[in-house]
Amino acid sequence: MILKNLSKGYHVSSEYLSVLDDFSLSVEPGTITALVGPSGCGKTTLLRLVGELEQPDGGVLEKTAEEQGPLSYLFQEPRLLPWHSVLHNVELVMRPWYPDKVERIARARDFLTMVGLSDFTTFKPDQLSGGMRQRVAIARAFAYPGHMLLLDEPFQSLDTNLRWSLVNAFLKLWNAEKRTTIYVTHDVPEALLMADTVIRLSSRPMRILENHTIGTPREERSLGSPEFLALQARFYT
Amino acid sequence: MNRSTWITNLITALSVLILLGIWQIGAVLLDAGVILPTPGTTFSALARVVQQKPFSLNIFATVSRALQSFLIIFLVGGLLGILSGYSRSLHAFLVPLLVICKATPVMSVILLAFIWFSSGTVPLFSAFLMGFPVMFIQVEQGVKLISPRLHEMTVAYGFTPLRRLIHLVIPSLTPSIITGAKASLSMVWKVVIAAEVLTVPRYGVGSRMQMAQVNLETAEVLAWTLIAILLTALGDLIFLSLLELPRKLRARRSEFLEAVR
Repeated sequence: MILKNLSKGYHVSSEYLSVLDDFSLSVEPGTITALVGPSGCGKTTLLRLVGELEQPDGGVLEKTAEEQGPLSYLFQEPRLLPWHSVLHNVELVMRPWYPDKVERIARARDFLTMVGLSDFTTFKPDQLSGGMRQRVAIARAFAYPGHMLLLDEPFQSLDTNLRWSLVNAFLKLWNAEKRTTIYVTHDVPEALLMADTVIRLSSRPMRILENHTIGTPREERSLGSPEFLALQARFYT
Repeated sequence: MNRSTWITNLITALSVLILLGIWQIGAVLLDAGVILPTPGTTFSALARVVQQKPFSLNIFATVSRALQSFLIIFLVGGLLGILSGYSRSLHAFLVPLLVICKATPVMSVILLAFIWFSSGTVPLFSAFLMGFPVMFIQVEQGVKLISPRLHEMTVAYGFTPLRRLIHLVIPSLTPSIITGAKASLSMVWKVVIAAEVLTVPRYGVGSRMQMAQVNLETAEVLAWTLIAILLTALGDLIFLSLLELPRKLRARRSEFLEAVR
């Protein structure tokens, strides 16, 4: 996917607030690209433009043939329908693609099993913990045949241990089917462990300060290694 | 029945007894049946009224008027409430009508309706005008409470409008719909009977009340009033048990599935 000269702004009570101005970026298909930057810099706006929840004021967004079509979104909150069971929440988004109910439910169950929720399929979201709810949202994002995955700080509200287990659950599903992923976060270690490319962004108007591709395979990465300590030091400044 | 509900029930029964006692004492002190008959006289009037020939016809006329107007209010108020919750133009268009409906005294509506329509239609029309704003406003407010985040999720995950209506809008609105329906139902009973009193259609609880009043049969007026109270209470009870029904059916089904397993 290539973003060329994107611009986007909002009118906030009589004043014009420019969030993106002439922003360009190219994303390698089938990789995870992490966008790291200060809060309020416009990362979420960029994600919403890619997800076509909003339209840019100017510029173009070119997706490859495989990236076009439906998109899977992971929000900061799980955003599950509270009146439906866990299974129903996942199965519901798959309906247009899997008209056969038996097959659809079996697939939804598979995804829930992969995030470790096979025993909770009949539970309602409010009967689960925050981490479990976000796991359901991860299962839903992968069960939905989105051609790209858009992640808007989905692990932010959770404690550290839970966060790593969710990151692992995410990577397990992602490795099975590598979809182009844009991942917005302000957590540097998380970005370094998950992404193929980490992009450091400035505050408004958003500019790319650094575009770093990590060569080390994900399973060999360690935050304590000299390479990653150096990267962390660089990205925190 | 646990201890605390047993005590509350006892207190309620005590309260009813005290009210009946005050009524009895007042009636004995006044000693004028035309002004205030004793509870005993009233209950025997009630027994007489119930045995009168077209009793069921009178009840049926009132109940069917109330149910018809309630059904129309439920459908029109619910539908317009949802649409106007989403459309600012429709909201702006309906505001004057709502203000008029809410501010006009019930009696003016009934009197005007009596000039325009036949006596059988007046209760329906008046009940609609009075009950509609209640349902409409509840549902419209409910739409504003639908989570914008969940709405955005349904957009991101490509829900069609119909799928969004079934899985997001209607479940979100259920509490507002129930509140609106309950409030408009209790309003409908009162307006229908008031309209019957003023327009005296051939059959109806209100018509009988009016006839009894003209003949100074105070005990009979009170008897019909008791019937009206019972009808309203029965309506509420049926409404509540209908609400419980889906939950009970689900419980029954899961019990059945347990047994099969």
